[in-house]
Amino acid sequence: MSFLEVRDLHIALGDFQLRGITLDLEQGDYSCIIGPTGAGKTILLECLIGFYRPDRGRLVLEGRDITGMAPEKREIGIVYQDYALMPHMNVFENIDYGLRKKEPDKSVREQAIREMTASLHINHLLEREPTTLSGGEQQRVALARSLVVRPKLLLMDEPFSALDPGTRRSMRRMMREVIGRYGTTVIHITHDLDDAWSLADKVAFFRDGELNQFGGLDEIFHRPANRFIADFVGVTLLDGVVLDCSDGATTVKVDGFALESLDEAEAGAKVRVAVRPENIIVTKELPRYISTQNRIEAELEEMDTECNRCVLTLRAGKTRISVLVTNNALEQMEVTPGDKVYALIKSANVSLV
Amino acid sequence: MQRINPFKIILVTISLIVTGILVLAVGSLFLVPTWSDVWTNLFSKEMQFSLQLTLWTGGISASLVLLFALPIGYTLSRFDFPGKGLAKTIMDLPIAFPELVLGLCLLLVFGNTPLGKGLEKLGFQVVFSKTGVVEAQFFTALPYAIRIMKSTFDYVPQRLEFVSRSLGYSSFETFRKVTLPLARNGILAAAVISFARCIGTFGTVLILAGGTYMKTETLPITLYLNMSYGNMGMALTSGVILVLVSFIAIFIVEKTEVGV
Repeated sequence: MSFLEVRDLHIALGDFQLRGITLDLEQGDYSCIIGPTGAGKTILLECLIGFYRPDRGRLVLEGRDITGMAPEKREIGIVYQDYALMPHMNVFENIDYGLRKKEPDKSVREQAIREMTASLHINHLLEREPTTLSGGEQQRVALARSLVVRPKLLLMDEPFSALDPGTRRSMRRMMREVIGRYGTTVIHITHDLDDAWSLADKVAFFRDGELNQFGGLDEIFHRPANRFIADFVGVTLLDGVVLDCSDGATTVKVDGFALESLDEAEAGAKVRVAVRPENIIVTKELPRYISTQNRIEAELEEMDTECNRCVLTLRAGKTRISVLVTNNALEQMEVTPGDKVYALIKSANVSLV
Repeated sequence: MQRINPFKIILVTISLIVTGILVLAVGSLFLVPTWSDVWTNLFSKEMQFSLQLTLWTGGISASLVLLFALPIGYTLSRFDFPGKGLAKTIMDLPIAFPELVLGLCLLLVFGNTPLGKGLEKLGFQVVFSKTGVVEAQFFTALPYAIRIMKSTFDYVPQRLEFVSRSLGYSSFETFRKVTLPLARNGILAAAVISFARCIGTFGTVLILAGGTYMKTETLPITLYLNMSYGNMGMALTSGVILVLVSFIAIFIVEKTEVGV
């Protein structure tokens, strides 16, 4: 029996729907849900918390069927993107709101609130009105309000997407600390893959109301189940045929070149090869001493700069490969589109899907 | 130099002309009567009766209106149910209805009918009575209050209610602790508008309660009766009081910043 069991969940709400969702979480798991807009991610949260009743299926939390239970009985907390702080209460009253329902003793409550706000660095804001706070501060208040009642499960709907990148980073750091200390089980919807990278133990990928893939962080980001997920998480996915498998290394033939992987597969089998863009090194000339097993000669087709890094699109035969390099590295390389380059990939970074 | 925009000039001119006429019309109500006359009329027996009847019926009606507009406004804002569209239209109907027709409809329902007779047995004589005044005012003002309450609740984010539920509060507790406090301004606006509508109701009261001298005589009825006797002083005095109440009502509503 898992901590949270979602069994064959179906619900249709206007344009949004979920079909046949089955999912298991263990206590203390931090799961991120990713997927394109309209995939039904938010409806899943609102079914879990009890605002909508599923058309079919069951929700079980700690062995208790909560499918039809009133939201106030479920002990599940929620944090929204727009913070949803009560505008008619100050910060202290907001955080105290849920707690005073559970704990009649005011001094006990105050103690709990001081501890919680200290760990989120908002203890100096207790007397302030929510509208006078910055986005990051409001989100920490919302988080404190949800966590201080020690929910069994904490749901977060794109909690950081309205924050600037710097605040987002410090929020992630704080989340890791606080969630770690309280051992809360979390489901966190996000569009920002960095949230998943820095916080998640498990990742669920939703698309068109269905759960496409659910697994460890590594699984989704290194072995995406289909091309759509691969594109979404930025992995290059190539179709190939296994040529040979011996001495712990597998050679796969992919459109004109061969790739070596440490994953095992049978010779002759059709496989997909997944390579993450940050695991590829690009050079203009082959170094004399080289430890990487895979060397691919390619043409640099496009360069797209994003923030402080650049996505290079290489072309080898008919195959396109994305590579992520820092702008610094790019400057030192002095390449322009049309140049001949080499892509170097370690066998350990070539996954067979 | 800014270019002259004829379109803008024409529109502003039209707005100013109409506003000017209105100011003139309302202003004359205050300029025509002599103040000593208004003062004397105010303490006449008829005016005292009318004023008192208007205030207490208006108070009761407005309270009843609020009592019903709150749940109905919340229902229309939050819940989906079969026939919701129809219910909304029907409840809005009296806004477009002439008051006289509304009065006639109520008379047909509560007059010499089983419903009217049943109520009479219970001690509520609706037609041609003070109860009728309250009822007429209630149905005239209710649609306005429902509208204000619905739009007020529309502006209270449902997410706040969701969060409150997730923190252990039932739906009724959430309504009391989150929704109602946040709807405070709207409730105030609805109360003021309802009161102003109630004490100004004329046609509905006239048909349902009958405009009887010193019996079902509210301020608009006083104005009407005295106009027909040619007693301008009394008519103007009731007019002045009604306009003053409207001014105060609009002023308070503007302060609450509720979209009506």
